[in-house]
Amino acid sequence: MLAQLIQDPAKAAAALSRAPKPELDAYGQLPKLASTFDHVDGLFYFTYAVCIFFFVLILGVLLFSVVKYRRKTFDQPPASNTTHNTPLEVVWTVIPLIIVMVMFAWGFKGCLDMTTVPQAASQNTYKATAMQWNWTFTYPNHPVKSSGAVWLEVDKPAQFLLESEDVLHAFYIPSMRVKRDVVPGRYQTVWFTPTQCGEFHLFCAEYCGEQHSQMYAKVHVVTAEEFAKAPWNTFDDSTPALAAKSGENIYKALCSACHTVNGQSVLAPSWGGDKGLFTKKDGNVVGRARQVVENGQAKTVVADEAYIRESIRMPLAKLAADFAAKANMNAFGPDKLSDRELNAVIEYMKSLAQ
Amino acid sequence: MTTHAPILDTQKAKSEQPKNYLNCSSGFWSWAGTLDHKRIGIMYLIGTGLAFLAGGLFALLVRLHLWEPNGMLFTNDQYNEIFTLHGAFMVFLFVIPAIPGSLGNMILPLMLGAKDVALPRLNLLSFYLWVMGAVLAALAIVLGGFDTGWTFYAPYSLYTNKAVVTIGLGIFLLGFSSIFTGLNFIVTTHKLRAPGLTWFRMPLFVWALYATALLQVLATPVLGITVLLVAFERLYHIGIFDPRLGGDPVLFEHFFWFYSHPAVYIMVLPAFGIISELVSVHSRKPLFGYKLIAFSSLAIAIISFLVWGHHMFTSGQSTYAMFAFSFLTFFVAIPTAIKEFSWVATIWKGSIALNSPMLYTLAFLIIFAIGGLTGVILGALNVDLHLHDTYFVVAHFHYVMMGSIALAFFAGLHHWWPKMFGVMYNETLAKIACVTIFVGFNVTFLPQFEMGSQGMPRRYATYVPEFQPYHSASTVGAIILGSGVALMVSYLVASLFIGKKAMQNQWGGVTLDWLTPTPPPLENFAHAPKVTTEVYDYSTLDLKSTQTPIG
Repeated sequence: MLAQLIQDPAKAAAALSRAPKPELDAYGQLPKLASTFDHVDGLFYFTYAVCIFFFVLILGVLLFSVVKYRRKTFDQPPASNTTHNTPLEVVWTVIPLIIVMVMFAWGFKGCLDMTTVPQAASQNTYKATAMQWNWTFTYPNHPVKSSGAVWLEVDKPAQFLLESEDVLHAFYIPSMRVKRDVVPGRYQTVWFTPTQCGEFHLFCAEYCGEQHSQMYAKVHVVTAEEFAKAPWNTFDDSTPALAAKSGENIYKALCSACHTVNGQSVLAPSWGGDKGLFTKKDGNVVGRARQVVENGQAKTVVADEAYIRESIRMPLAKLAADFAAKANMNAFGPDKLSDRELNAVIEYMKSLAQ
Repeated sequence: MTTHAPILDTQKAKSEQPKNYLNCSSGFWSWAGTLDHKRIGIMYLIGTGLAFLAGGLFALLVRLHLWEPNGMLFTNDQYNEIFTLHGAFMVFLFVIPAIPGSLGNMILPLMLGAKDVALPRLNLLSFYLWVMGAVLAALAIVLGGFDTGWTFYAPYSLYTNKAVVTIGLGIFLLGFSSIFTGLNFIVTTHKLRAPGLTWFRMPLFVWALYATALLQVLATPVLGITVLLVAFERLYHIGIFDPRLGGDPVLFEHFFWFYSHPAVYIMVLPAFGIISELVSVHSRKPLFGYKLIAFSSLAIAIISFLVWGHHMFTSGQSTYAMFAFSFLTFFVAIPTAIKEFSWVATIWKGSIALNSPMLYTLAFLIIFAIGGLTGVILGALNVDLHLHDTYFVVAHFHYVMMGSIALAFFAGLHHWWPKMFGVMYNETLAKIACVTIFVGFNVTFLPQFEMGSQGMPRRYATYVPEFQPYHSASTVGAIILGSGVALMVSYLVASLFIGKKAMQNQWGGVTLDWLTPTPPPLENFAHAPKVTTEVYDYSTLDLKSTQTPIG
């Protein structure tokens, strides 16, 4: 595209203008506010205006001086040799001091609001579990979890308990103005009240390794009626086809950050393609032979259900030969992936067989 | 400030002593084993300059990659290594050592009227520690690179299977290089001032280097301990930072920022010093509020030890800690604002020469105003919770580190280049390069404020498509910026071979550094200069003798 810009700037500009537009607030600097934390926007625009005022002041004096007092002959003396002006110096010390103290107090008051969890929110507690590189959510009054997306009821305060399975992450929803680091070995909390229905970004904002930028979840804010239907509860393994579909959803939420299904093994072995896990033989789906390393010994195994189950529950037991040096997959125990869900994932893997 | 018989005396000295520090001896060991502060300064200039070019190349690769939402050039893993290299090279190998190591070494003894720094051997050791640190950084790239970001946050830095220990050792050595330089400057400033050069007659560049040196000596050991602990943790699993072993990753953040926040001022105070000199010389006017600027350097140095927690507002620290850190952060804005206002007031009603050092200085004043003011936005607690770790922060600190510190370094380089090498570069090209760098810089980083406040997180190899217009604009800016820097390097290097001979006092300065012949002889002054006038007293300047270009 960079080459395109040089060859055909108009076309490149047109392609850029087709990029999706972010939904912004009235002043165009912040995403449209979707929570009750309006003091963030208030203080942001206040400081922004103060900054512009001082910047224009400094720039104006500089430009004026350069034009007016420019040296025209080499021996031109300065127009003034003043080195002190006590009233002026007091003014430009005291006025900024007052302004920043206002900002400080305003910011701290807002911060107290954001860190003091109200009763209503603590009675509506979600859990967000971060791991390299996905998010899993547990709901207050529903047994089914969701990964890669979370549903919230509009106008109902919600608290999130944040936990990390591995390294630092950060829970960041720009539209809600909330951000909190997710620290392994302790719980962090964050709360907010969503005020707008819609879909919002949830980013990981603390660098967490290779796929940091792919560690994304979608926040769905829905009405109470919609929420009561538990739209995240889509798991269905009543038929093999439905199980494969549910398995695909789990794949997208938990596995797709590293594993592809198109045969390209960049970060981790691909599940599909001509070197995928399963192949079709005489109309039956069977596991392919696979080079692995077990306890430092190279060997060949068949990628059957038992092998896949072991590779998910205990990823370091048998390492795919091409990725043996990397060996960085997290284990997915029954708390993250139930046996039924695991079976659905295997069903999906089988559906990829060629 | 002048000697008893300034111009004539040194002219005479020059004719008796035609050799200068550049041509007094030759051969590899005359440089590699030199104890002369000016030669060591030149070696630092070459070393940190190369590190800057390498870091800049990494930055260009980062920007080119981010042209498209899915990334254009690299895998995510490679991208992470490249942005880490950019940060680590720029911070540890360029921004921290560049100004004190090159211009500081070169100019501080001249400004004090001294023959050399107080501890010349320690000075050479500082340089070789820098070289060893640079070699280890290069070695770390060969040994598999490192992908932790320049901040090395635990526990990721403990788990990643890359060359973290090697670069950690490199940073440990670079830390000692910085400590030794600081120590040297403190002793030099205390012991080697010329007769009559009282503390409040010292040029502000000296004050700034002195305040910096205090920070280097007091803060850097904490960084050394921290990277050593990370290395031990990786090698022996001692359980300081690793939560799986009962350690605390937030403790790492406290240790790291306890150094790295003062380090921001280790980087920026020397830049303030350069700007203080240049606004005065090129406006030919005593600095407005000299004492206030000198004291504000010390005030910033002290307060900077107490604000590290503002890098950790989202880390879950207690509300009381946030209260204190936010309060003190706003407080640091005041001495910084005083400096900016004083520089502008110095230019006001001056006799302003629009030559290239002054253009770089003006670019600094505009960019630093933006960098400083956006820092105030980030100091507000609730706003920071939204902006932390977004491109808003990236843009803010690039306005300070690249736009302010590197531009001040360029300004100082253009200002003292004739003194250092005895030649002048092409002024027209210098002005074109300055404008190109200024435009390119702003085109690169203004869009980053926009996308940052809209929620674009930093250190992303890929991004959601709605941020593409901002990223693309930023990439175009980086290309402009890069070409400006390339032009600057070309004409500076070319001037060494084809440059016109520089005058002794090229710009009409009245500090002692302009009293030596150009380039200075080995031990700087024929006689120890004696200072009898106040600092920045331009009434003593013999305008006819300098023929200062009007620019």
